Amino acid sequence: MWTFETMMSEAAGWLDASGPEPDVVLSTRVRLARNLSGETFPCCSSDQEAEHVRERILSAVSKCNYLTNALVLRMEDVDAVTRRVLVERHLISAAFTEDGAGRAAIAGEGELVSAMVNEEDHLRLQCIRSGLAPVDAWRLVERIDSELERNLHYAFSSNWGYLTACPTNVGTGIRVSVLAHLAGLSRTGRIAQVLKSISKLGLSVRGFYGEGSAAQGGFFQVSNQTTLGQSEEDIANTVERVAGQLVNLEHEARSELTRTDEHRLEDEIWRAWGILANARMITSAEVMDKASSLRLGVALGIIDAPDLAALNRLLVVTQPGHLGRTRGETPSARERDIARADLVRRSLAGLN
Amino acid sequence: MKCERCGRGTATVRYAEVVDGSLTTWHLCEECASERGVTGSLTSLAGPLVNILMGLLEGGGGAEPVDSGPTCPRCGLTYEAFRRAGRLGCGTCYETFASQLKPLLRRIHGSTDHTGGVPSTDEGGHFRRREISKLKRELTRAVAAEDYERAAELRDTVRARERELGSTETGDVDV
Repeated sequence: MWTFETMMSEAAGWLDASGPEPDVVLSTRVRLARNLSGETFPCCSSDQEAEHVRERILSAVSKCNYLTNALVLRMEDVDAVTRRVLVERHLISAAFTEDGAGRAAIAGEGELVSAMVNEEDHLRLQCIRSGLAPVDAWRLVERIDSELERNLHYAFSSNWGYLTACPTNVGTGIRVSVLAHLAGLSRTGRIAQVLKSISKLGLSVRGFYGEGSAAQGGFFQVSNQTTLGQSEEDIANTVERVAGQLVNLEHEARSELTRTDEHRLEDEIWRAWGILANARMITSAEVMDKASSLRLGVALGIIDAPDLAALNRLLVVTQPGHLGRTRGETPSARERDIARADLVRRSLAGLN
Repeated sequence: MKCERCGRGTATVRYAEVVDGSLTTWHLCEECASERGVTGSLTSLAGPLVNILMGLLEGGGGAEPVDSGPTCPRCGLTYEAFRRAGRLGCGTCYETFASQLKPLLRRIHGSTDHTGGVPSTDEGGHFRRREISKLKRELTRAVAAEDYERAAELRDTVRARERELGSTETGDVDV
């Protein structure tokens, strides 16, 4: 049985580093924005309309083969810490932690497929896969979307495609994003130039937690910016191709680092290990930063353990919401820093 | 704060522009702002998205006051309210504000035509409609290339498809 507790006891499937290019790409996310035909969009609907939309969508979800065991959370029943946990697991957006009528979060088994009901659009359906896999992720989300469509009549126009609340999403309603660890490019100082050329290709770049979040620890999300005028497959292919080139550039930067100043690099990585394995108090920003160094060290074979999957998980479970929830009360920032250092030490103990 | 362009005047106008897909914000003095064609004040509007949309709507950052424009008959959203919030209220808004949205969509996406997936049930005949517009484009090309034999063929196909579609016509937009 897939419950909230089983979800919390396991790491999200997309963190397991089993996909293509795991040393650089953590995960690929594809989301679709959909609205129901004949219903007012969430921004302008009454509470009653929003509730009605939610029931229609949840009923279609319960009939969808891919989501029969999915966890359905009606957001009014979800407390603030748990909402934060859902954001940290990339299941909901930061905007979705605010109260709103008829909101629901849906998480499929293993968290590979999830959805938000009544966020900016009636339905935001997403699939997250490990590694660089835009086309794969698109194919999976397409199958689920088609299945849902048997029971939901989407707002659609022949000219403009799927109609969304914001005109920046109209057409395909698709957002394909790749979460990449560009530690090498960040260190060789070439990152700004690379990101600039990515934006010239019509793609956008954001931080670890998406819209508005700063890039920490050299983690960047690269995604398509336009949704109209190209097919979903073409968009997924473009992101896959550009991210593939990004992986090559990152590999080049990493080998340049080892060639030019191996001692400095080794020093940084072993110091990061030292801090993570010994700190008694640590902030999530510092974990992000040091885990980034360690991740680079593991990818370059400078340090053997922990493995990439363990480091990916560490990035999520050391976030404030996860720590708050496992502690069972609302800890202060200071208590969280102590608990976080504890958790990190325990995760790394005996690994090296 | 000093004007970021001339460095002399006091910056009173925030000016946002999108170049190559990335947003740049400038703080300008009145004089530099009017040189760039910004006549009103953008500072009262909240959120960068609004500025992006405003910039796109106004052809690069102007802020001429306009009347509230058309009102959506289904959800009651005015065009002015859309301009402020950057969000449409329902599917019908796309029809109501079609003439205003078209240039906006072209600037955001570089296109105004959906070429991606259609609902799998295709109740509105979207797939066939798409095929017809594709055939029409081919027809125009054939005429331009003076390939009249091909053009005649295409014309007949278009007519036949339109007849088929007409018998199952359910309207263009599923809203």
